[in-house]
Amino acid sequence: MKIALDLMGGDNAPKELLAGAIKWLNEYDTGQIILVGQQEVMAAELSGCTYDSQRLALVNASQVIEMDESPATALRKKKDASIVVATKLVKEGRADAVVSCGSTGAQMAAALFILGRMEGIERPPIVVAIPSRGSQPTLLIDAGANVDCRPLQLVQFARLGRAYARGVLNIENPRVALLNNGEEEGKGNNLTTQTYEILRQQKNINFIGNLEGRDLFNDRGDIIVCDGFTGNVLLKAMEGMAMFLAAGIKQELGTIPSAFARLDYTQIGGAPLLGINGISIVCHGSSRREAVCAGLAIAAECINNNIIAQQLQELAELS
Amino acid sequence: MQEFYAQARKILAEQLEIELENIDMDTKFEDINADSIDIVEMIMALEDIYDIEFPEEDLEEYPTMGSLVKALYQYLKQAQNES
Repeated sequence: MKIALDLMGGDNAPKELLAGAIKWLNEYDTGQIILVGQQEVMAAELSGCTYDSQRLALVNASQVIEMDESPATALRKKKDASIVVATKLVKEGRADAVVSCGSTGAQMAAALFILGRMEGIERPPIVVAIPSRGSQPTLLIDAGANVDCRPLQLVQFARLGRAYARGVLNIENPRVALLNNGEEEGKGNNLTTQTYEILRQQKNINFIGNLEGRDLFNDRGDIIVCDGFTGNVLLKAMEGMAMFLAAGIKQELGTIPSAFARLDYTQIGGAPLLGINGISIVCHGSSRREAVCAGLAIAAECINNNIIAQQLQELAELS
Repeated sequence: MQEFYAQARKILAEQLEIELENIDMDTKFEDINADSIDIVEMIMALEDIYDIEFPEEDLEEYPTMGSLVKALYQYLKQAQNES
C-alpha cells in the first residue's frame, strides 16, 4: 500500500504534515508514504527526524496551489503543483491514494481532471461519517466539495452515498434523506424542492424525504444529501458545538465523554471524495499531526475496503 | 468562428444541463451558474476537438461566453497559421 501525501497543502504545512506522516509510519506496521513537495523543503524538514526510510519516499513538486487561487485555473497553470503531482501518482498506479490538507477546490479539480469521474457523475462530493445513535454512522454528503450544486448533482450524490453505504458500511437498503429546513414536502429552496421531486422518482433509491440538521445524530436516515456549501457550514457548526460542549463538560467534570472525542475535528483525519476513479482524501486545512495521521489511516481504510470497485459495482447496478 | 462558437455553446449547455437558448455571446458565466471547473471542462473539450492546447489564461479576464470564445478562437487561428 502506497499513500501520496501532499506535503505543501494546508495551514500547518509542511512541518505538521511530516510529523503526521512519521506518526502514521510508527503506528502502523505496513504501508509506504510518498511525500510530495518541494525537494529542498522536504530535505530540510526531514533532517534530524527518525523514521523508517524504506517506508518513506520523496517526489519533487516545485509549485503549490494557494487557498485563495481559483482551483481550475490554478490547476491548468501550475502543472507541477504538489496536489497535481500527488494525484498523478495515483493515476499512474504509483500510489493507491492521495491525501491533502490543501485547497479542497484544487483537490477536487485535480481528482476530476486527472483521475476522471465515474460514469453518470458530474462532480465528486465529500462523504463524512457522522456518529449517530444507531449502530452505523450517518453519511453527510456533500460535506464541502461543491459549493453550488444542481438538482441532478444532488441525486448523483445520493447514488454515490448509497453505493458507499452498501459497499463499505454493509447497509443493505440505506435510507436516503434530503437535508432541509423542514420535513414537510415542499419545504426549502429551489434546489431542495426540485431535488426532492427527482429523488422520489428514483426506483432504486430508498428516499425517505426531508430531514433537518438535528436528525443527523438521531439515526433517522443513513445518508443525508445536501449541497457542499450547506454541508460544510453544518459540519463546522457541529465541530464548533462539540468543542464548546466538551470544554464546558471538562470544566465541570474534569473529563470529556468519549462521544465528544468522536466529533473532535482536530483528531478526525479526513474524508474521501466519491465518484472519481481513484482515492483522494480531503483533510482539514488546519490539520495538525494527529489529524494528518488519522487522514492517512482513512486512506488506508479506503484502500483496504476497495471503495472504488465498490462504488463502480453499485453504480452499475443502479444504471 | 461561428462553428467554433457553436461547439463551445453546445458543450457548455450539455454540461450545465440547460437549453442552448440560455447561452449567447453576451451571457455572463456567473448568470448561468458556470463555475471555473465548468469553464475549464469546456476549454478541455474544445482542446480535444481541435487538437490544440490553449494557453493558461486567467478566467477572471473573460467573464462572458463571447469574450472567452473570441480569445480562444484567436489563439486557434494563430496556431493554425503558424503550423
